[in-house]
Amino acid sequence: MAIEINNRMGLAGVKSDYVHVAGRKLEDIHERLLELEAKGEVKVIHVKEENKPIEAETLLGWKKKIPTNKLWHHKSCGQCGNIPGYPVSILWFMNKLGLEYVDERNQTSCTAWNYHGSGTSNPVGLAAVAVRNWHRAYELGLFPLFHCATTFGDYKEMRNMLIEHKELRDEVKRIMHKIGRELVIPEYIVHYSEWLHVLRFEIAKLKKYDLSNVIVTIHPACHAYKMIPEDCIYDKEIYGGKRTAVSTGVALALGAQVADYSTWYDCCGFGFRHILTEREASRSFVMDRKIRPMVREAHSDLCITQDTGCTTTLDKNQWIGKAMGYTEQIPVMSDVMFAALVCGADVYKIVQLQWHTTDWRPLCEKIGIDWKKSEDEYKAYLEELRAGGKTVNLYEYPKE
Amino acid sequence: MEYDENGVSIVPSEFKKEIFEEAKKDFRYEEYVRGCLNCGVCSGGCPPHRFFDFSPRIVLQKMKSKDPELIWAMMDEYVWACFQCFTCAMICPFLNSPGGIIAILREIAVRRGLESAKKVLKPYSRVLLKLTAYGNQLSSDMIQPDFFPDWGPHIGYASADLAIKRKAIPMPTLQVTNLAWDVAPEAMKELYDIFDEAGVFKIIESVDPSLYEIIEDIVDDVRNS
Ligand code: SF4
Ligand code: SF4
Ligand code: SF4
Repeated sequence: MAIEINNRMGLAGVKSDYVHVAGRKLEDIHERLLELEAKGEVKVIHVKEENKPIEAETLLGWKKKIPTNKLWHHKSCGQCGNIPGYPVSILWFMNKLGLEYVDERNQTSCTAWNYHGSGTSNPVGLAAVAVRNWHRAYELGLFPLFHCATTFGDYKEMRNMLIEHKELRDEVKRIMHKIGRELVIPEYIVHYSEWLHVLRFEIAKLKKYDLSNVIVTIHPACHAYKMIPEDCIYDKEIYGGKRTAVSTGVALALGAQVADYSTWYDCCGFGFRHILTEREASRSFVMDRKIRPMVREAHSDLCITQDTGCTTTLDKNQWIGKAMGYTEQIPVMSDVMFAALVCGADVYKIVQLQWHTTDWRPLCEKIGIDWKKSEDEYKAYLEELRAGGKTVNLYEYPKE
Repeated sequence: MEYDENGVSIVPSEFKKEIFEEAKKDFRYEEYVRGCLNCGVCSGGCPPHRFFDFSPRIVLQKMKSKDPELIWAMMDEYVWACFQCFTCAMICPFLNSPGGIIAILREIAVRRGLESAKKVLKPYSRVLLKLTAYGNQLSSDMIQPDFFPDWGPHIGYASADLAIKRKAIPMPTLQVTNLAWDVAPEAMKELYDIFDEAGVFKIIESVDPSLYEIIEDIVDDVRNS
């Protein structure tokens, strides 16, 4: 007989003053970066007053300044290609909060998904791509905000490697010189989920629906908190500071019940290559280690993610699970999409749930969102566009 | 290449030694391979350990053995089982990074064009092409029902009438179908220069020469545009 654990309370709201630090003494990479800057070895993209930073604490209690304004969007291939409501929800909030930003064509992929899937790059290639994109934000006088957790993990790693290895710095400087750029490093590497986290109380003020009977489970992204784990937000008021606070923080601020489940720390099964070429491994992992425990143990209405690959893997693999006897199903969306939905963003035009595979309509109905009206309006909108109408954009390209 | 009586190629021990030396002189090696308690904590948290004959504990133990034969034995499909989630690196009490070691070994496998790497990466070529030629790696027109039948009937939604649905996304950068976002040609050209200088094109040529020819044509077109 299957064991059913009814663990709705979870740890999410537990407070603690105790910080457990074990292992080697890590140097604060931020201080080393500033030392290199003082020696004239690198240029730094500083978090300035105009970026309206809000301070947060990381795993080891170090301070991290999260810029909230004047940002340069470093988009994610997987989000833009497959989950368009993800970046759109980020921009929607920025408009709502009156923040300044640039979203432009002059950006490349971080190339890190490809690297972790195929090995076809190297530290020089990865670091040069990172610096190329950082420099683009720098020349516009903006601070880069990374949408993808793999970008975030990879760029944290590249930042550390560039600071620790002069040979790598010299090689990247040489390449930057060739393409007419310079070696610049952001003062902090910032993921959009951190931006959302520090603004969670502002965002909660925009809330339109009561969530007190909605149970959510969080899937934290491996590349956000397992790669360079010391550079990730922890909060003594969330999970007693024992687990990364992002995503959980915003769900709690919005008034949802955040439930715990036994496989919280597990990866989603994406595997970078496996999701495309060895899908049965990804699929089994999704159903056995994530969706089933979320539903059986936590009675979750929704799985909240903070990254590209996890959102895709957890959403898309549930359908085939049914054929293999996995009856558990829950909608999957990122923290920012959920927040946008709850703050009144249009289900189709903004949150773009129509691209998702696992049924999200029951969740909308439980919250009290009229998705049918939104669907009808979207269909009419597509007709207008077909007839030559213009898109109502959230943002227009900056004038040259 | 020499073969044994069963027609299996014999890899000279010198070559295996070279592979180990190459891994060892990587600047990340010392950081990733420290002491190992053989405790298995890493394998307990490792996702593919549940499905395949693969264990990060074994990866660390083999590296610590310094035996080129044992390390060579991982260079086939073994290193390709890893999900690159870095759970191992986060939970290892000795702060080893088995996932990081795997990354180093994979880099060597593709740089040297090993047959096992070629075989494993064959079905991955669409992604490699997109990324190397155009600067981002997953476009909306790649989500086709015949490629993802196991994602269910709704996946057809993502391919039907795609151009209009993409036009309806309220971000101008996203209103394209053949790329994730509309990458500016100047950004692509900079990426090509980086790939040239960092040896990325060379790696792709060694692991998939025919794919590389296609990429080369596209790169030339963009460079001359
Ligand atoms: S990690 Fe994100 S941005 Fe980078 S290549 Fe992957 S999907 Fe694109
Ligand atoms: S990085 Fe690789 S070896 Fe480490 S836990 Fe993940 S899958 Fe296992
Ligand atoms: S690598 Fe670390 S976690 Fe794995 S067996 Fe060795 S000491 Fe234990």
